[in-house]
Amino acid sequence: MEGLDLAMISEITLRTLWVCGAALVISSGIGVPIGIALGARRFAGRTLFVSSVNAGMGAPPVVVGLVCVMLFWRSGLLGGFGLAYTQTGMILAQTLIALPLVIGITLAAVGSLDEEWELQVRTLGIGRMWRLWLLIREVRMGILAAVLAALGGILSEVGAVMIVGGNLEGETRVLTTAIMMYTRMGNFEMALGLATVLVGITFLLAGLLTAIQQSGRTR
Amino acid sequence: MKKATRIVLSATQLRCQRGAGKDRFELNVPSLDLCAGEVCVILGPNGAGKSTLLRALAGLEKSVARESLRVPDGPVTLVFQRPAALSGSVHFNISAALLGKGIPRDEQRRQISAALARFGIEHLSEQDARTLSGGELRRLALARAFVLEPSVLLLDEPFDDLDAEGQRGLTLDLQKAIAETDVAVAMVTHDLRRALLLADKIAVLTRGDLAQQGPRDEVLMRPASEEIARSVGMTNLATGRVGRREEGVAWIEIEDGFEIPTCADFQPGDSVWVGIRPEHLKLDVGRGEGQPIGKAVVESLISDGLATVASLRIRDRLFTTHLLSGRGLARRLQPGDPVSLAVSPEQVHAQRIEVA
Repeated sequence: MEGLDLAMISEITLRTLWVCGAALVISSGIGVPIGIALGARRFAGRTLFVSSVNAGMGAPPVVVGLVCVMLFWRSGLLGGFGLAYTQTGMILAQTLIALPLVIGITLAAVGSLDEEWELQVRTLGIGRMWRLWLLIREVRMGILAAVLAALGGILSEVGAVMIVGGNLEGETRVLTTAIMMYTRMGNFEMALGLATVLVGITFLLAGLLTAIQQSGRTR
Repeated sequence: MKKATRIVLSATQLRCQRGAGKDRFELNVPSLDLCAGEVCVILGPNGAGKSTLLRALAGLEKSVARESLRVPDGPVTLVFQRPAALSGSVHFNISAALLGKGIPRDEQRRQISAALARFGIEHLSEQDARTLSGGELRRLALARAFVLEPSVLLLDEPFDDLDAEGQRGLTLDLQKAIAETDVAVAMVTHDLRRALLLADKIAVLTRGDLAQQGPRDEVLMRPASEEIARSVGMTNLATGRVGRREEGVAWIEIEDGFEIPTCADFQPGDSVWVGIRPEHLKLDVGRGEGQPIGKAVVESLISDGLATVASLRIRDRLFTTHLLSGRGLARRLQPGDPVSLAVSPEQVHAQRIEVA
């Protein structure tokens, strides 16, 4: 099993992008609206919610993986769905890791608007949906940053996908788990090849994120 | 004379609460009417509830009962003390006010251009609104408010942080826009001089209560209490007892040998407070203007280039008067100089002190 298997690398990369992309779409779809609501509204229990989001942003992925596996286990709460060692299971675990990041960063972006911002827009006498549109437009850079940060988080994460997916060849093997495996097998060529791809993607994301933050500063 | 007034917005028994416990603040406005084409300036010390009143009138305060506010069919809009700029061009910022209102694109463009022109910011149309100066941002906010064709315009400190030139220019543009659109305006400010340029009416808030309202000159000349007097710039205040009455003039004894004459109708022995606006306190230079009331010593002279505010010590009180800078007395006087004070009895405001 020595040598650089390019077909294998591209297969693993595509699967990684699919798993992370799906998790990202789901977590953004849920997280961005929640983040906007948390940032713009005051309600009972908000502080508790926000602090659990903040805690979730720093939660170790491997623990999230452990919790997922316990839920997915045959005798677990979601055991009937057969999610253990499947891509769907991995997507769910990644979603749970990405969600607090998306909510937290969106929330911070909305919160950075002036306290009076919403009142001021209300005095324009435009409809609710238009006000929401203006709000999203105003914090669009923050939302994009939230999504990119979440993607970076789940792309480079290894604990949860390892525990939940199990690194099954052709099914649940992704970049990070594959790197771990090849390293342990002593196949540094493959490990480095995969690592290059992973680092390339994260660099791309980091570059995008920096560009967004820079443009945000001079806006 | 002003044209017949048409009430556009009226508040009755308007109450609004904020905070709790020690921070509890209550706004209480028995009645307030805003009329088309008229500017009502809301004065009052810091924390009196001026901005809260504006927000209540704009419908932004939740605790205000619906029935206490009768609003017009047209928009009621509020320009905040620190206007928010949306990210995007000045043009976009103004067009945001027309979102979803079913106005055809051509018509929108025409309205936006008119609003930009009204406040002299056509040249900034494509500029990023986040890069505007304070004065430009204020003009943008006003243009955005006027593009709504509001029935009522509420302005919170519209001249705050502008230099003298910027204030003058904006005052003129605003005056013109109000006259052309017949909008009813309520304006909060702490800058009395600026307020007086635009005000048709004055309303004074003290600790959340609308204490007095009326035509500009009436409130300026006849404030209903000493507290209101201070808010409307009546700086020379004293209390005393009515002594003799001669030829329709009541002489109020402030201290032994210090009397102020007034035309108000009092009985000897009444306890009263007296107020004289600084512009009505005269330095007697022997031209026989008004009635002499005593000698004072110049304590300090502060000039802003146009007016000189002279602080005068009369016994242990400080009175102030305004002089035109760079001329006559303002040039000759020095701190420490003795002067004689005089007033016209009809310009002295006095009110009986009601014993609680």
